[in-house]
Amino acid sequence: MEDVHRTLGALHRGNTRLQLDTTDLCFLVALRARGEVSAVASFEDEMLVDVFEQVCDLTDPAAPNKRKRATHAIERLREQRLLARVDGAGLMRAGEYAMTRLGAAIVDFYAADEKLTRESLSLLSNILLSQLAEVRAAARGCDSPDAWQTRVIEPLRVTVGDLVGGIERRQRGMDAQQEEVQARIGELLRHDWFSAIAACEELLEDTAATLQELNQVLMRDTGLMLALLQEIEQTAATAAAHAAEAASHTVAEQVERVAAWGGERQRAWSDYYQYVQRYLRTVVRLDPQRALSQRLRDQLAGWLDLPFALCVAEVPSIRLLRELEARVERAPVERPRRSLDDTLSVEPPDATPVALEARVREFLDDRTTSLSEVIRALLPDIPEPERFKAIGRIAALVAQGAHVTQELVPPWTAVPHNLEIQDWNLEPKESV
Amino acid sequence: MTEALYRTLEAVVQDDLFPTVDLALREGRHIASDELAEYAFIREAQPLLEQFYRRYGCELVQVNDGYFYLRPTGDRLGRRHLSAGEMLVGQALALLYLDPATVQSGGGALRGQVVELLDNLVGKDKLVSALNRRRSGKKAERIAQELVRREIDLALRSLARLGFVELMEGERLRLRPSILRFADPVRGLGDPAAGLQRLIERRDAVLADLEAGDAHEEEDSG
Repeated sequence: MEDVHRTLGALHRGNTRLQLDTTDLCFLVALRARGEVSAVASFEDEMLVDVFEQVCDLTDPAAPNKRKRATHAIERLREQRLLARVDGAGLMRAGEYAMTRLGAAIVDFYAADEKLTRESLSLLSNILLSQLAEVRAAARGCDSPDAWQTRVIEPLRVTVGDLVGGIERRQRGMDAQQEEVQARIGELLRHDWFSAIAACEELLEDTAATLQELNQVLMRDTGLMLALLQEIEQTAATAAAHAAEAASHTVAEQVERVAAWGGERQRAWSDYYQYVQRYLRTVVRLDPQRALSQRLRDQLAGWLDLPFALCVAEVPSIRLLRELEARVERAPVERPRRSLDDTLSVEPPDATPVALEARVREFLDDRTTSLSEVIRALLPDIPEPERFKAIGRIAALVAQGAHVTQELVPPWTAVPHNLEIQDWNLEPKESV
Repeated sequence: MTEALYRTLEAVVQDDLFPTVDLALREGRHIASDELAEYAFIREAQPLLEQFYRRYGCELVQVNDGYFYLRPTGDRLGRRHLSAGEMLVGQALALLYLDPATVQSGGGALRGQVVELLDNLVGKDKLVSALNRRRSGKKAERIAQELVRREIDLALRSLARLGFVELMEGERLRLRPSILRFADPVRGLGDPAAGLQRLIERRDAVLADLEAGDAHEEEDSG
């Protein structure tokens, strides 16, 4: 796949989808079969309708107007690019159709018997080895980019690539077969229980033997294939034929994948084999009447009425003592204590706030027009550390005693002693 | 006849696997035949290990289903009984293990199957009250179900530590042969109550008091 993002984008933009019902699938499979029997690569309109009607007789015998349904089905398959019109005559006359690669792939999935067997694997890998040997010989004699292209790159991409792809396809068939075997073992046990032991063991043994044989062939032949591919890659590298080097590398990766499959599947099957054997030995053979499940079901259903609990060993972890640390004594936070017997002294009251309030009122009575004017007059008489706080108090008294009118953003005005305030305009309050 | 791999207890203790196996057994773990190395080690050293643990007042038990565990029969080694959640989930898992449908997936199951099985066999309301004894009061169904699910998750984690089940990615579980210990009282075709009594007598199980939230040892009636 060249660019997965572009492909995904195209699928999304085109709102691509596949919608096939059982009749459509049967129609495609039957079409392929008719093509093989009649040895034709394309189908005339009449043949398509005929095949569809036969399929319809099987899948939906009561359906009315089968001819019309056939027309719709053909149109549907064309829209989904499973059938393609190949005569190019448009609506002028009855058409001729062929199955597309997509249609053929769907039929292959359901109908083709492409399972991996020792014979098919040996045949494919022998052809592959001979092809690779030819490519190696050709690579040694290549002296131009064209020669590399036609004698090495193309055979690697097309012939060798297709052969390795064929093995991979059959491996997927083998995977599906394994799943079927697992499902079959489950079915056998469900229906026949104790009588199914022999059949289950036979299925297990057969699959295990097949996988072992396949793995042996794969291990032997893929080693030879990789050695040949490495030689081709080295020859290409020496001749600076980078495209051929890359093509060889790609096929080598594909072969490594094929080899890894064998080992992985054999390991996985070995685990499954052991599990089923254990199950047959410890569950099925020991409980031929299959009574344990029902008795356990009853036990669980009635457990709340007669609860019991299994016992298990439990040794607490060893207690690790904390390492000794020199403790740092920190002085507690406290405040100095004062003797309650201290004699009280007489202090004069602080008259400053009252005096300040009286003076501010005087200024307001004199119809002072701005806050800055009041502050300028009062500030020199206030001790320096108190001035900042005093300005706040004066402003509060002024706000209480006069109407304050101000601009949206009051202007900053300098007052003595390096201070600035936002000034207010004042109007006297009307006395009631 | 093959020669014994370990002739002395010293040889057993010197094996690299000994600390792992010894700690696992003492922590209540069940070592099944799907743990190849550990299981093989115990089998090889079984006579010597049996003597060794007997001195601690314990019995090294081998079960036909293919697993070992340590059963404390005295007071030298600590022991505990499983909680209500662990017992309910353990029995549900054992039922799933016996189901031929599980064979198809190679011993795999889903957490959802456990919840469904318990809902069906025990009943939703009883399950909620059995698993939520510590929290009193009636709860909205959604909250009660959430609590049940949490208790089941806790039980699964604990059962995994004890070697009954393996927690896989996401919802998946792998059932281990030792899960069949939960079916011990109903083995054979005899009276289940007598089966349970046998387990209690050999200190494999205790009767539980759900109201008190604790289990107690039944006095030997004989």
